[in-house]
Amino acid sequence: MLVLRPVAPDDLPELQRLARESLVGVTSLPDDRQHLLDKILDSCASFAANVQAPGPENYFFVLHDPASGQLRGCSEILAMAGFSAPFYSLRNRPFVSSSRELNVQHGVPTLSLCQDLSNHSLLRGFHIDPDLVGTPMAELLSRARLLFIAAHGSRFADTSITEIVGYSSDDGHSPFWDALGKHFFDLPYVEAERLCGLQSRSFLADLMPQYPIYIPMLPKAAQDCIGQVHPQGREAYEILLREGFEANHYVDLFDGGPTLYARHSGVRSIRQSLIANACPGPQSGSGRAWLASNERLGQYRAALVHLDEAPGDLVRLDPQTFQALHLQTGDPVRLVAL
Amino acid sequence: MIVRPVRMTDLPALMALAQRAGLGLTTLPANQDRLTHRIRWAQRTFAEQVERADADYLFVLEDDDQQVIGISALTGAVGLREPWYSYRVGMTVNSAPHLGIRRQIPTLFLNNEMTGQSELCSLFLRPDQRRDSNGRLLSLARLLFVAEFPHLFGDKLIAELRGKGDENGCSPFWNSLGRHFLQMDFVQADHLSSLGHKPFIAELLPRQPLYTCLLSEPAQAAIGQAHENAEAALAILRHEGFAHQGHIDIFDGGPVIEAELSKVRAVRESQVLPLLVGTPDDDAPTWLIHNRRLESCRVTRARARLVSGCLLVDRLSAKRLQVQPGDLVRAVPLLATQAKAAAVENPRTALADA
Repeated sequence: MLVLRPVAPDDLPELQRLARESLVGVTSLPDDRQHLLDKILDSCASFAANVQAPGPENYFFVLHDPASGQLRGCSEILAMAGFSAPFYSLRNRPFVSSSRELNVQHGVPTLSLCQDLSNHSLLRGFHIDPDLVGTPMAELLSRARLLFIAAHGSRFADTSITEIVGYSSDDGHSPFWDALGKHFFDLPYVEAERLCGLQSRSFLADLMPQYPIYIPMLPKAAQDCIGQVHPQGREAYEILLREGFEANHYVDLFDGGPTLYARHSGVRSIRQSLIANACPGPQSGSGRAWLASNERLGQYRAALVHLDEAPGDLVRLDPQTFQALHLQTGDPVRLVAL
Repeated sequence: MIVRPVRMTDLPALMALAQRAGLGLTTLPANQDRLTHRIRWAQRTFAEQVERADADYLFVLEDDDQQVIGISALTGAVGLREPWYSYRVGMTVNSAPHLGIRRQIPTLFLNNEMTGQSELCSLFLRPDQRRDSNGRLLSLARLLFVAEFPHLFGDKLIAELRGKGDENGCSPFWNSLGRHFLQMDFVQADHLSSLGHKPFIAELLPRQPLYTCLLSEPAQAAIGQAHENAEAALAILRHEGFAHQGHIDIFDGGPVIEAELSKVRAVRESQVLPLLVGTPDDDAPTWLIHNRRLESCRVTRARARLVSGCLLVDRLSAKRLQVQPGDLVRAVPLLATQAKAAAVENPRTALADA
């Protein structure tokens, strides 16, 4: 049974393996040992911190297979975008020009560099083994973060955003980057993403275009990238759409990929999750699937469970589940239907 | 040949010229009412009945058979009644030293910096008459006029030269830029501009700086480049000290060349001299001569010699100028001498010449 839990220092070798295999645009998982170690330690400190309001914390989760010891995926929540370093994106809004005399009015689509998306919590770093794509494990990996937010609301903002990886070709070219970023950074797309993974994007602040970009002036291939999702980013995208996230007129500075946004009060896994007290009992294993998590912090655990009947005040769980979720009898369990 | 202010009796000739000018000259529409209006306004200008902000000095080139074969004009000031726009080519330099990256990206800034300056415009010479320095006479007569009446003009003279395009009226600069904001093609925009709507059109353009690297390659290449048809006019004015200092037309990217009035060769080097009538030799250089009048302005070119502080010309030239021997005229050699021509080139030219 795969379990989602906070990352630990011992996970470093497995994390390096995941980093090597991850998509170019997932900049939060660079293939650099020191950087990954720093990330792990930062996450541990975040879980351990006594937090009254969101700050620089970054919560790093891994999908662990206790049987093989392997990590099958990872995902993160940054407590507050823009807290430690500026969070840049491109606002996609029309520049409206109108002339009463000429009876002309129209909006020219425009991209403007901004930091509008600061102060939301940021879901990021979603990476899953290719053979788990399209399975409930992808749901677990993504949505368990939302259950965590539900459990520990004071550590987060009232809203979350996420950037979905935009289109790039198999050989690592992004038409959007070639039409835009490349002029300002003079780096190939892959190299720019790599540098961003090692440092936050703010290091590029000196180079970013400060003035609006008028979309019709970009080549068609670049325009088509705006709001486009990379095929390998589709899973993450669709899971969150089903959760109630929506595209919100912001795209990624590098690849034009869409940003999704939601108020937590409108997110399915947060709104519809219910708390039941755990009690031991048999389950056939073929009942309806639910995502279940304990309500703990450093010992947070989440997993997929099958329940023969809907949970009420109590939820019956088998011993294996008790162990996987680090539960004692009577502990609260947060549940949402898959 | 003489250059003189336009008269209402020139209307038919102007209509004929306008029809020949075709798409190239927005200020000379082949429209009777509008030409009539313009002539009337020019007459009031020469009669000193209008303010500088509205002044339109429209001249014609007339041959010895009284045929009007060309026009040129001068405004008192641009931008004082409604905004006069240009793009200024600028540069942003972004650097991240710790990454070893330094980027210089040219930008275009929409601006009204030429407000109040005087504009040379409406230059057109019938194609079959483009010889014998007729073009130079037609163009430079204005400068000699300015030399005589500098108080009627701004600190700078500017000229907007047609930008690169093709015979179909397509402008690569327009297609890459203006078209997206106005949703019309260049010919249409040009036409609206000739009707006086250019300020309204400019208001539809984005006010924030534009990165030229986002324009198409042909559009970038067109920046500050004059149309082939404008190259002769450009050469004449460059010879007078006009240079491209980075301003371009907002529609087609053509260069807006400029010169400080006091530094224009024809202004700086012209002299007021008494006229002598006689027979200058065949090797005498050609001079540009103005009778120093305003409403009855006449400018001609003639072989002339400086003799004891007077300008010796033949009888016909004096007659063309409607002056008597002993009258004062303003004159300058038609061409700068070699040594002076080198000094006239503006060392501060920011961009490559067309």
